[in-house]
This record gives sequence, C-alpha cells and structure tokens, in this order.
Amino acid sequence: MTRVAGLGVLTGWGDGVVALPADAGEAARERDVLVLTPPPLDGHKDGERFRRATRECRLGVAAVEAALRDAGLERDAIRGSATALVYVTAAAYGAANVAFVKAPGAVFFPYTAPSAVPAEVAIEFELSGAYAILIGGPAATREALAHAGRLLHRGRCSRALVVAVETFDECRELWARGRRLTGRPLTEAAVCAVLERGDGDTSEVSVSAEAVREVRRRAGETLACGPLIALALTRVSWDH
Amino acid sequence: MDVDAFWSALVTGVDGISTIERFPVDDLRVGRGGEIKKVATAHLTRARGCRATALLLAAADDLRACAPLDAAPPRIGVVVGTALGGVEELERAMAGDRRLRRAAGALYDAPARALARDLGALGPVLTVSTACASGATALGLAAEWLREDRADLVVAGGYDILCRFVMRGFEALRSLTRERVRPFDRRRSGLLLGEAAGLVLLAREGTARGAVLGRLLGHASTSDGTHIAAPDPEGRGLAEAIRVALDEADVAASDVSFVSAHGTATPLNDRIETAVLRRALGARAGSVPVNSIKGALGHTMGAAAALEAIMCLLAARHGVVPATLGLEEPDAACDLDHVVGAPRVARTRVSLSTSLGFGGCNAALVLEGAS
Repeated sequence: MTRVAGLGVLTGWGDGVVALPADAGEAARERDVLVLTPPPLDGHKDGERFRRATRECRLGVAAVEAALRDAGLERDAIRGSATALVYVTAAAYGAANVAFVKAPGAVFFPYTAPSAVPAEVAIEFELSGAYAILIGGPAATREALAHAGRLLHRGRCSRALVVAVETFDECRELWARGRRLTGRPLTEAAVCAVLERGDGDTSEVSVSAEAVREVRRRAGETLACGPLIALALTRVSWDH
Repeated sequence: MDVDAFWSALVTGVDGISTIERFPVDDLRVGRGGEIKKVATAHLTRARGCRATALLLAAADDLRACAPLDAAPPRIGVVVGTALGGVEELERAMAGDRRLRRAAGALYDAPARALARDLGALGPVLTVSTACASGATALGLAAEWLREDRADLVVAGGYDILCRFVMRGFEALRSLTRERVRPFDRRRSGLLLGEAAGLVLLAREGTARGAVLGRLLGHASTSDGTHIAAPDPEGRGLAEAIRVALDEADVAASDVSFVSAHGTATPLNDRIETAVLRRALGARAGSVPVNSIKGALGHTMGAAAALEAIMCLLAARHGVVPATLGLEEPDAACDLDHVVGAPRVARTRVSLSTSLGFGGCNAALVLEGAS
C-alpha cells in the first residue's frame, strides 16, 4: 500500500485547502484567472541559481517545501537516489513558450521545456532517483500517482514526490479561446504529495472522479493539480 | 517514411541532413537539419494541419502495416514522448490563427490524443516529456502498463518536429554545428536537429501475434539534479539509469553485446557518455560495438530513443550494426569500440540504449532481439 506522508498545496486562493472557498465560481466573481505568486526565495541555498528560473519553477520548489513541512521531513530526508520525482502538468510550460516565441532571448531556452520545473526541484533538493515527467490533466496525475506507487512497491525508491504545477496568467488570451473546454475560474496551483510505502499489497493511491469534481467546484480549474488537491481535501481512502 | 527505408538508409550510410526548406532559416546561424521533405497530404489532413500529429499518424500507419492492433479498443493504450509537443501550433496561434484548434493544439499532449483517436484506442493515453530522453521513458511506461494489466497492447514511442521555435532555441544555446555532425569524433563541434516519429507496438510476452521484433527487458529513467541544461559532469544520473535498467532486465553488463549511444556530437555529451559507458561495461568496454545514429538523422529529440530502440532490434534481426555517420577520427577521450566507416557484422542479442535530455533527464533501455 502507498501512504501519503505529506501534502503541500498552494493555489491562487492561498496556502492549503483551508484557503479554498465553498464555491470557486461564485468567489471568483469576474476574475478569469486566480494568480499564484511564488513565495520569496530567501533562505534557499543559492538564490542566484534561481536568477533565470521561471515562476512555475519557483512554484514547484515552494510546493515541495510545503509538503516536506506537512510531512515533518527535513530536506536531508529526501536527498539522493532513494527519492523518486514524478512531475505532471498540463500547461505550466505555456508561459515560457509564449515568452520565447515573442522574444527568443526573453527566456533561457531550456526553461521552455516542461522538464524545467522538475529539474529545478531536483537541483534544489538534490534528487537523483527515478524520474518521470507526464503531460496532461487529472488523468495524467492519476498516472503519476500510479507510477509513483509502482516505483515504491518495486523498491525503486523509498519515497516518491508527485509534483504538479499549473499556471495560466501569461497565456490568458489563449485560454480564453478555449473557455468552453475548461472550468472557471482558471486557478493557478502548485501541489506536492510525499508518498511512502505502507503495509499491504496495493501500490495505487486512488482519487475518485467525484473528488476531482469537488476540487473543480471548490478551487476552480486546476488541471493536473486537481487530484492532488483532492487528496488534501479528503486525506483518506488510500486503502482499497 | 517506413521502417524498411529507415533501416536501409542507416545501413547504406544515407546522410539525412539537408538545408531546411519548410520555414525561413535565413536569419539563423545554422539552417540545416534532418528535415523530412515530404509528408503525405493525407496525413496532414487527418492531423488537421498539425505536422507533429501528421508524423505520428504516418508512423502509426506504418506500424499497423507491420502489426495489427487486434485487441479490444479499451485495452489498447498509447504513450508517446516528446520534447516539443505541439509547440508549432502555438507559433501559429500567436501569429494570428485564432482557431481554437491551434490554441488547443499547442498543448504538449494534443498530438498523443490525436493519435489515440486515429487509432481508435480507448485505453490509457499519456504524453511523456523527459526532454530528449522522452521516447525511452515512454517505452518504459508502456511496459509498466502491460505488467500491471492496464492494457493488452500499447502503442509507444516518440516524436518531434523541426520548427522555428526549436531552431532558435538551440541556436541561442550555440549547440548547433555549422559542420558535419560527428558523434565521438575528435573534430565534433555540436549537433544538428532532426524530425521524426517512431512507434512500436508492445504486448505481453506470449500474447503478440505476427512477427516479434524483440523484447524490452529493462528500463530506468533518472534525474541528475545538477544543472538545468548540462549533463552531470560525472554522468551519475546516466550511470544510475543504466544500473537500474540492467537490474530490471536481470542482465549483467557482460551480457550487453551492443550499445546505441545518445551520441549527440556535442563535446561534453560524448565525453561524459563515454566515461559512463566505460564504467558500466568494465573490461569489455573496448570490445562492445557502439554507434550513434544522430550523425545520419540529426537529433530527433523526443523521437530519438524510440528510433534507437527500433534500430537496436533491427540490428539484432539482421546481424549488422550501422556505422556512426560522420565519425572518422574517434576522439581519444571517447575510446569505445565505435562502428566506423561501414556497418559491422555482429551478433547483438542484448542491446543497451542510452538517452539524456535537458533538465537532467537520463534514461536507459535494455532490449533483446527476437531469437
């Protein structure tokens, strides 16, 4: 069985699920995008290293820090090859891609890749274990949780971080073209789940479709972050 | 544009690099690459004008010609890797094409979803983006799905296209050479990009119908955690990927009979990769044939590892290892048993294929040719 040892949830509504309103659509009023500002970088081992990093990279790092705090773990506990990192996003590369199309010098090219966010997370926390980067919405996050569970179950890692980041602000105009395909408001989010191996034979962490719908109602459209926010909302039901 | 042409070109030493014609390159320092000169109108139409999707659909047609997808649609999965997704659709959307399909097509998972629709696959669909190691990670995840009984068949592989976006990116990094691509050569001066899609059909052992090309014995993907763009100077992440993949395959390093190297022809990659392979292969490092197909095709990014996996299995089938095009004077710092000048006749039952990508992505595949 896979155990959720910690969860870090940052959304455009604030820190943690306690910041979520009862009804995102109503609370957002006229706002189409709930923007999430990264916390300050003070206290990181090398602030200069983040000079080029994009907002979404800093959000990814902040989500992991929040999850470690929730799990009561120090950074040393996850350093090295025993911690797997599985990252998932539907769109958090969009801002960097748009900036690069507008002006190729505006963003250091490697930061246009989806791999930039987990790379900064891996560098910051010195992670050198199993690694996967999945693209898509809630279904991809379920795959990420399943993959992390398999890595734990097969002894490929002793902990797994499943990290999801979604940003929309810089691509509002593009998202507006697809308004009918997404929920609203679009709520930026950065979430991390710390998974560990528990007792039992089942490797999978389950998130029901109903729980993801509840996240959409409470938080708005968070795409890949939805299932992880759902875990934070329920904090139960991994034993099945 | 099919697997036979691919193999034939590799064995006969066809140079796939040419001047890029599909989009303007006059303002770029380097305007050459492994461009596919003709994509069938039918594929572009089915792909609604998205070139990345069109390449995937063309590869899928070739795949279906070789191996029927004879499973119930909900039991057919699709997992593909890409470094760029539908980014050219983003360029078009920002250039004034306001159709929803352009904006939606800019999402990196759009081509994989289009492929699944075209195939009629109703099982799990996933896009992987471990940069230029994406194709290898995709094959590894496909094997997991089969092991976990998530699907009976999985169409897996990778793709990427040449476009202004990626050319300008690599230009900004000064990674592109104005000379020939020369993997592991002492005169190597950088890479050239290419475009491709490569797909394989994976099934559980004993359930595949038709001719089986080989087996995926092991896979691992790891992170370096050291630099956003450069590989770890000691290649520790790649070494770990190789170690875990061999372990999963239950294969000793002494059983590896061929290495398909990432071999981009950048000074740093080839030197680091050589050091890692020498450590991994030990005393046999000087006698295990090694090649890189990037001299012939350019670096096809998300497609690279899938194409290299296919090449490994074809090499085993034919008993021939294609030479590394462009390699003439092996660098002393890259002292491996390179296949130079002409294809080599060799029995290559167990192959190791290595991949690296931006963001400290590493992957290794262990493959076995069909006996």
